[in-house]
Amino acid sequence: MLGGQLVLLASQSPDPGGGPRSLLAGGALRLVAPFAQLVAAVGDVFSGFGRAVRGRSSLARENRELRTELLELRRERLRWTGLEREAGELAVALEFARASGLELRAARVVYLDRGSFLRTLVARVGPRGARRDQVVLAESGIVGRVIESSGPWARVQLVTDRAAAVGALLETARRQGIVRGAGPAELELEYVPIQAEVAAGDRVLTAGIDGVYPRGLPIGTVIAVEPGDERFHRIRVRPAVDLADLAVVYLLESASRPPASPREEVATP
Amino acid sequence: MSGALRFLAGLALAALATAAGTRLLPGFPSACDLFLVATVAAARHGRLERALVAGSLAGWAADALAGTPFGLFGFTDAAIGYLTALAARRLVVERPGSLVGLFAAAGLAQGIVLVLLGLFVVPEVVELPGPVAIVLRTATTALLGPAWIRFAAAAGARVRKLLKRPPAGLRPPSSLVS
Repeated sequence: MLGGQLVLLASQSPDPGGGPRSLLAGGALRLVAPFAQLVAAVGDVFSGFGRAVRGRSSLARENRELRTELLELRRERLRWTGLEREAGELAVALEFARASGLELRAARVVYLDRGSFLRTLVARVGPRGARRDQVVLAESGIVGRVIESSGPWARVQLVTDRAAAVGALLETARRQGIVRGAGPAELELEYVPIQAEVAAGDRVLTAGIDGVYPRGLPIGTVIAVEPGDERFHRIRVRPAVDLADLAVVYLLESASRPPASPREEVATP
Repeated sequence: MSGALRFLAGLALAALATAAGTRLLPGFPSACDLFLVATVAAARHGRLERALVAGSLAGWAADALAGTPFGLFGFTDAAIGYLTALAARRLVVERPGSLVGLFAAAGLAQGIVLVLLGLFVVPEVVELPGPVAIVLRTATTALLGPAWIRFAAAAGARVRKLLKRPPAGLRPPSSLVS
């Protein structure tokens, strides 16, 4: 049994997907993800309750009638908090999809481990499921790609994962490189020659050369350019997406249309 | 409650607690592996086959919530479960001190196996746990293990008591019970 598992594990290197273990992986995801969703739902209820309690304490100076009235209003608001939040997220999703010119589908994040060495994201993508390698976005840029999908659940390899690699392009220097994860909230842009003029603040976009990510999507911003080896810069990049603040992500359904924003249109270097 | 049911309930609890912990504390899985605790708790009775199966199931559940290649924790936890069961056949592990030692050894062994797999079996794919993460996971496994066993025993006793109690309609009136 141990030998079989070892063979199974070794057979998926170096690409963490596909192969004979996807049935097992899908089954495990399908069984475990509902627990994460349950926790996410309970957490939403508690955070709404916490906000209501904090709001109530600020009304202590009000007179009794006003306080009672406000209490009623807050109880009412508490009932609507979930719906309101959902409507807001949907509005943002619609606006984002329209502005980006991409065909997107919203998915709710049910589990997000962004801090540990096991960093991953599990999202509920709905009954249509998700494709392997489907690009996952947030409003401000790319989040990662789907590496496992089972029923309504999808496991996403975050762009900050050490094993993740994205073909990238420096917006101003017009140089291509590879972006890799370099910590919970940092990326590294590799293979940019030292002749290239790169400065902190330069935007890094997807280059569309890796067969996964379409061209022109924001990856992050250069925060430091350090001397690397004899040929290449060592460029540290801050991800465009704040992974600490992800409740909804978007699956990129079709990349046939380029990004609509003129800033994100990228010419061939 | 049978051992298998108790173990599955433990796995569900581990999944819930891991999801809740990760929501509250970024990096929680670096510091604490409740799936390993469930594995060792199930394997400490010394049954090798059961330990292997329990370790595999718990590891696969951990794999479902990790960005690592599927099977990394499946293999690791199955191996730790097997080693724990082997140790339990030769040693008496009942006193709190022994339990802490057993869980600590399991936590440390898991860290070592993960590093070895990351270096030699799936290189370039797995981010290795750092020394701080290994020490933290060892410490939390050692502390949580005995508490987990105590909780499981209490919960099991309560469930057995509930199952033995006759339905309310069949109970004699309190006036007839001396």
